[in-house]
Amino acid sequence: MADTQALQNPLRDEQRLPRVPDPGVMVIFGASGDLTSRKLVPALYELASQRRLPLEMAVVGISRTEMSHEEFRQKLRETLEEHVSGGVSDDVWDSFAGGIFYLPGDSKEPETYEELKGFLKKLDAERGTLGNRAFYLSASPSLFPTIVGRLGEAGMNEGEDGGWSRLVVEKPFGRDLESARELNDEIRRHFDEAQIYRIDHYLGKETVQNILALRFANGIFEPIWNQHYVDHVQITVAEDIGVGTRGAFYEEAGALRDIVQNHVMQVLCLTAMEPPVAFDAESLREEKVKVLKAVRPIPEDGVEEYAVRGQYTSGWVWGEEVAGYREEENVGPDSVTETYLALRLFVDNWRWAGVPFFLRAGKRMPKKATEVAIQFHSSPHTPFARDDTEGLEPNVLVVRVQPDEGLSLKIGAKVPGAGFEVSSVNMDLLYGTAFLEEAPDAYQRLLLDLMLGDPTLFIRADEAEGAWRILDPVMRRWAEEKKVEFYPAGAWGPREADELLGRDGREWRRP
Amino acid sequence: MIGETRESPGGGPMSVAEIERELGKLRANEDGTLALRSSVLNLIVVTDEASAPEVTRSVSNLAGRHPARAIVLISDPEGEWNVDAQLSAFCNVRGGGGAQVCAEQVTIHAEGPPANHLESMAGPLLIPDLPVFLWYPGAFSPHSPEFAAMADLADRVIVDSAAREHRDASLREMAELVGREGAPAVGDLQWVGLSPWRSLLADAFAARERAGELEKIASVEVLYAPGGECRVLLLVGWLASSLGWTPKGMARDGDRRRIGFDGPSGDVEVFLSPDSPDARLRRVRLRSADYSFQISRHREHREVKTTVMRGEDLVAERTVHLGHFDLGVLVGEELQFRGRDEVYEAALRSAVEILDL
Ligand SMILES: NC(=O)c1ccc[n+]([C@@H]2O[C@H](COP(=O)([O-])OP(=O)(O)OC[C@H]3O[C@@H](n4cnc5c(N)ncnc54)[C@H](OP(=O)(O)O)[C@@H]3O)[C@@H](O)[C@H]2O)c1
Repeated sequence: MADTQALQNPLRDEQRLPRVPDPGVMVIFGASGDLTSRKLVPALYELASQRRLPLEMAVVGISRTEMSHEEFRQKLRETLEEHVSGGVSDDVWDSFAGGIFYLPGDSKEPETYEELKGFLKKLDAERGTLGNRAFYLSASPSLFPTIVGRLGEAGMNEGEDGGWSRLVVEKPFGRDLESARELNDEIRRHFDEAQIYRIDHYLGKETVQNILALRFANGIFEPIWNQHYVDHVQITVAEDIGVGTRGAFYEEAGALRDIVQNHVMQVLCLTAMEPPVAFDAESLREEKVKVLKAVRPIPEDGVEEYAVRGQYTSGWVWGEEVAGYREEENVGPDSVTETYLALRLFVDNWRWAGVPFFLRAGKRMPKKATEVAIQFHSSPHTPFARDDTEGLEPNVLVVRVQPDEGLSLKIGAKVPGAGFEVSSVNMDLLYGTAFLEEAPDAYQRLLLDLMLGDPTLFIRADEAEGAWRILDPVMRRWAEEKKVEFYPAGAWGPREADELLGRDGREWRRP
Repeated sequence: MIGETRESPGGGPMSVAEIERELGKLRANEDGTLALRSSVLNLIVVTDEASAPEVTRSVSNLAGRHPARAIVLISDPEGEWNVDAQLSAFCNVRGGGGAQVCAEQVTIHAEGPPANHLESMAGPLLIPDLPVFLWYPGAFSPHSPEFAAMADLADRVIVDSAAREHRDASLREMAELVGREGAPAVGDLQWVGLSPWRSLLADAFAARERAGELEKIASVEVLYAPGGECRVLLLVGWLASSLGWTPKGMARDGDRRRIGFDGPSGDVEVFLSPDSPDARLRRVRLRSADYSFQISRHREHREVKTTVMRGEDLVAERTVHLGHFDLGVLVGEELQFRGRDEVYEAALRSAVEILDL
């Protein structure tokens, strides 16, 4: 990246030792909030403890609550143990915490930024942070444009003294296409796209990245990964939990905004994209955007042919009776918020012409499962007698993202005995289990990439907008209709979702 | 890590086919299902009776992170002619679906003449299409024909340059080995143990105003425990080869050594003191005219502290985890690396130049 200054250091052994980012400061807006203490600081602590961060690294938190530096450190320390896997060492924490600071202030007020600017300069001088800054937007989304504007006005959209300045934007990236565009325009008025890191933590997951490894590190899948061989594709992101205490948040969001616009669309992109020429930020994201562009627009007057909106009622999940969505805390008794969403999409390009992609995401499903299933055409002709092939189904290649990361392939095999009866068997490969190594938390990976200046696993503006563009007609129609289909907790979605596939004579897999 | 070790009841002389069949049986679960085998590499280990228990323990600890077919060869060329195989599998449940995954271990006792032809037993047991790592936990002699035949099977050889009594000779032989035409890629556990120290030293010079100090280093002090010579010489060899220092003289004072170098901005003096009662490497301190850079390890703790001073002023300070150093971890790090390690080879050459003074 052009904005990282290469300091010549002959002791760096990049072949053997992990890359360590340049010195710098991470500024967190929304520092007294949940994300900071639950994800960001634990991830930074673990990185620091494992020697992955530079010696000169500082963290500055900002929110309105009055706290001293020491109180802020204390607050973070109290919950740290719950959120790190390896235990906390007091010596390591004390040393790391010495680089954590807190500035009470309202992100709306220009004075806050004057103060921040002075403080950061002081840190550069005292702690050698080289004028490099990453601003992390972890306040409420409504504040994003204000914070970005104020940073720009204060000249902090550029690093000090030739250092870099980067901006991290948490989801949601808008509420629909229009607001996403506005937000992007607002941000780009002050920051270049290359400085902007939109986080979708799904991409930080090792198992999601493995979809790319599987497709593009193996020669045998690519030749059959197209409409000649594939009948249709099913993408499932199922959770067994309900909304829990996050009812108020979920009422505003719903499955479409919470999961589909970001995570599910990302999995669709990784599944359907063309091989990128290189694994770098622009090549990879360019290919993902092409997929989103190729998705056939859903006509607003025919949404029900493409999308199903579902909501769970009470039912049984894993031996436990659970409440329906409308009975959950902070949820309206006549809420039509979707806890389930199924989509039928077509990617209109050479590779995928005519192949439907069925996507579904939901809460209170029978179990937690994220997978991509590639259903192949039946063999064009079977030489075996019809009676003998009753147990035979078309080949299915399933890429399981979680849990039990791996592959399974359904193939036909001869049933032992006389004659030639064939039946389907599952061939399982658990590649995830090949390595017991604990995969680092997604935030650790992404925060490190951020500090290193590698935006490959972050979302580009046109990706976020592309995903909204696909979903916009659905949202508009639903907003008018105010209707939702019900499914009992512990089921794989409403009946209407089955009909979405049934119309073409297909059915959902049981993950 | 939850898991179970399954032992094959039999043992004794077995053919390759018998061994494969018995290994297959080990994967059969009690309920009739078959546990999966996952392997990313072959690991051949050559050891002797005395070290076998510790080595075997490290190998099964490795199974989780680096699932392998492990072939442990316990060799005794002086013994009565005998070849005997024992089989085990380390199986554990992974993932939410409860599938069992096993890593297999074949242990072969070879006594008498077969001990000089270990390659004839290791070769047929390798899983095809996977890389082969050859690990000598103890002393080994790179010149022996046995070593050459084994090294031919391997993509990478892992050794411990400190395993031999005579450490100077060991480093010299290693340097000669890596310098040979067509030599295998070599990894040295003494070098792996230096990784965190190297990383921390590099970090200390990341700040812009200190980057230039690397050229001006005038002295280095290393405090270590007796027995850590190989590691320390590699550390100094690495500094010398990375920073362009040429050794020119050495003085001894008991166990202590003072080594003089020609550096880019004049003389560099390196003091090595094996005075620390514990912690193999206790402290490394680099000094330039204005600064001192120190990495030091607390006696009983796993943490290391970096301290950067400018004159009397503390400029930067940090404590991090040094990491774990048991045998399994060190070998594990080597298993992640493929190919020749040029930085190591340069450090090794430089260490030998120091020995030659
Ligand atoms: N939590 C998660 O798991 C999660 C996951 C994905 C994305 N996100 C996103 O991450 C962001 C933060 O989420 P969160 O859960 O941490 O939210 P939160 O707990 O509600 O925290 C919001 C923070 O913003 C601060 N704040 C509000 N108004 C402010 C103002 N005018 N000036 C300065 N600070 C102000 C609040 O502190 P004061 O009241 O002290 O000012 C608080 O620290 C949101 O955009 C959310 O969508 C969160």
